[in-house]
Amino acid sequence: MIYKVSYVVLGGEYPGGIKNQYERPAIGDQVQIGRKVFEVTEIHEIMPPRDDFQFLHATIKPIETPDSGQTPAEPTQTNS
Amino acid sequence: MELLPILKTAELFQGLVPEQLARIAGLAETETYEADDMIFNQGDAGDKMYIIGEGQVEIRVKAPDGDSFAALYLGQGQLFGEMALLDQGRRSASVVAVQDPTTVFSIPSGAFNDLCQQDTAIGYVIMRNMALDLSFKLRHRNFDPAAG
Repeated sequence: MIYKVSYVVLGGEYPGGIKNQYERPAIGDQVQIGRKVFEVTEIHEIMPPRDDFQFLHATIKPIETPDSGQTPAEPTQTNS
Repeated sequence: MELLPILKTAELFQGLVPEQLARIAGLAETETYEADDMIFNQGDAGDKMYIIGEGQVEIRVKAPDGDSFAALYLGQGQLFGEMALLDQGRRSASVVAVQDPTTVFSIPSGAFNDLCQQDTAIGYVIMRNMALDLSFKLRHRNFDPAAG
């Protein structure tokens, strides 16, 4: 099964992302979207599975990673 | 990086048999980018669409005031540049590689449209899947986490 995941950042100030992955995301997982790392906080199924695909929304929030010194997502202008 | 295994896991090609996938693979070229490399610019003429094999890209849009902003990140298996293939318009956004390396497979629009017209079974599956992918992108854009 391939999971096509729409990652949506809480607060809407950082663009989310879409990617395919072989493992279903779980709450607490860390995921890199663009140049920042986030933690998954919620998962919703968008639509019924089709062929080898499942379609999911994952809500994510920014986290700090000690090794990269990364800071939470900076506000970014969006068009939404 | 081998092309066929990537094509098999791209939603765009779901429903095609191996012989049909091989015909599409014959049109594709592999392009590898480093982080921050520009793949194409908003306003450029669009003559290819792309499938991401590895890494991530940033979709950047220039606002009417001249500022540009990151609108979306796309990772493995995702399609970009398909709008120019469909409508022959100019690129509606710029695309920048954000991971090192980012590997994409480019498919020239002219040869691809020719293939879809010669083999309408391929054409139907691809166009249906392209519509589904655009629908997914709209759902991503419209999703409100507060509403669930």
